[in-house]
Amino acid sequence: MTKTKWRAAGGTLIGILIMIVFLFPVYWMIKTSVTPVTELYHNPPHILPVAATFDSYIDNFIRNQDMIGYIGNSFIIALGTMILSLFISVPAAYALARLSIKGKALIMISILSIQMLPGIMMAMPLYIMFSKVRLIDNFAGLIFADLIHALPFAIITLRPFFLALPGGLEEAAKIDGCNKFTSFTKIILPLVKPGLMTVAAFCFLFGWGDFIFALTLTSDNAVRPLTLGLYRFIGQYGTEWNNLMAVATLAALPIIVIFVAMQKYIVGGVTAGAMKD
Amino acid sequence: MSHKSEASGSYTLSRRAKWFSSWNNYLFVLPALLFMVVFIGFPLIYNLIMSFQNVNVYNLTGKHDFLGFANYIKTLQDPVFYVSLKNSVIFTVLSLVFQFTIGFALALFFNTKFPGRNLFRSLMLLAWMLPVVISGTVFQWMMSGDFGVINYFLQTLGIIDHPVNWLSESSTALLGTVVANIWIGVPFNMIILLSGLQGLPDHLYEAAKLDGANRLVQFRHITLPLMRPTILVLLILGIINTFKVFDLIFIMTAGGPVTSSTVLPIYAYQMSFTTLEFSQGASVSMIMFLILILISIVYLRMSSKEEVH
Repeated sequence: MTKTKWRAAGGTLIGILIMIVFLFPVYWMIKTSVTPVTELYHNPPHILPVAATFDSYIDNFIRNQDMIGYIGNSFIIALGTMILSLFISVPAAYALARLSIKGKALIMISILSIQMLPGIMMAMPLYIMFSKVRLIDNFAGLIFADLIHALPFAIITLRPFFLALPGGLEEAAKIDGCNKFTSFTKIILPLVKPGLMTVAAFCFLFGWGDFIFALTLTSDNAVRPLTLGLYRFIGQYGTEWNNLMAVATLAALPIIVIFVAMQKYIVGGVTAGAMKD
Repeated sequence: MSHKSEASGSYTLSRRAKWFSSWNNYLFVLPALLFMVVFIGFPLIYNLIMSFQNVNVYNLTGKHDFLGFANYIKTLQDPVFYVSLKNSVIFTVLSLVFQFTIGFALALFFNTKFPGRNLFRSLMLLAWMLPVVISGTVFQWMMSGDFGVINYFLQTLGIIDHPVNWLSESSTALLGTVVANIWIGVPFNMIILLSGLQGLPDHLYEAAKLDGANRLVQFRHITLPLMRPTILVLLILGIINTFKVFDLIFIMTAGGPVTSSTVLPIYAYQMSFTTLEFSQGASVSMIMFLILILISIVYLRMSSKEEVH
């Protein structure tokens, strides 16, 4: 009894040590963002904060409003990616799980293979195509591009949720007077809510974190997301690391919030998306 | 009574078949298929066609000549291509070896019961979920030469005696990106392996304990063989995903100094978007694509073999 208790305490202790080492970069990002400039280039560096200031946040988000624009753009792109992915992937995943469709295996294999395509391989032909139809420097263009990654992930992750529902649900719905579409929206969808949450969180994340399409398919700051803002900032301000880390921290904030709020859906989603099928 | 229920059974069966196989099923998949054709299929074919033409920034809107395999031959004669290929292999192998080993060790650790386990596990995933641009920038700062905290730690531990400019020296730049990529990839490996471990039947371990098998023997003869399918899928997915890493390296070193950390995706990017030789870039990404297809075929073969076993 006491032996197992000691073992458990030891496990927690080792766990804490691992967390300290592993999460150090995240700590260092936040710590640097509140370090005064005079402290920044102190040698040797202070591992624990000796003084804190929010100057870098005030400078970059209140005095200079450029970053606010990037943040707004990131939200538009991330929400757009999330909503459009859900609209397209949810019915598709349902049909691929529960309805009879010819060529189902072929569709599933194509969806799985799309996941393996390198982003850069899509970026170049998309750049030329989009230049011809004016989708360069366009939110819709970026959202479509982000969907290349988000959509297959969403379908692959959602399908097992639909498969896990008991058979006969649709028949019961039909007896109650539903047709195929209303039984899908009224009966089936509420039952896969956890799956929808997982997919919504990840698709938002894909849109928020995208860099390669923002880099290749935009040249106008009016549509550029925060990831690209951060990258351009490195070029402009070189070694003002407190400013850079303030921007990085704020860019990470929505992810951290989503993560904390939706933890249980996310852990399940990672394993489902990677391993099922 | 029984006769009646049989009749209604066959009635519902045929109605049921109709419900599940009618044409309007296709309406559900139509948007997804349409998207895939327009935004994935079409660009891929366009990329393939371009790789046989002479498209560059000057003649983009004009007519293009068919060049056959000229772009491919030019790519295969470019020394930078081989440097990138070599760097891609080094980047992928080193990243995977460490991501997997550390991930497995952590999975074994988190598979034991102790308070706080679920919280720690979730916190690790957070690192994986951060946009790569952010983690790349943070590592760039930590690895900087003069005030970087990694130099400070290594000097304190006595591993190096003077600060190293990790990312701006050609001998260490690729290594620096590998370290950041290991950090990004460990949580994913850990979570997948952990979910595999949690699915293993307890009774096998209990039986082994009764037979006097120690933990190492249990690991070798129970854990490893049962985890084989999970490990295979994870490694192949890892190879594919690591091979196509672009953002992280682009942020941290942009492939430099010179070509010392240029991997194939960076090389393809430079061809298409810096040199603006679109066709040449298309041939590079087609070669990259072929390599990934080869890896996937190996994967499909292995996984179908696993299913037979």
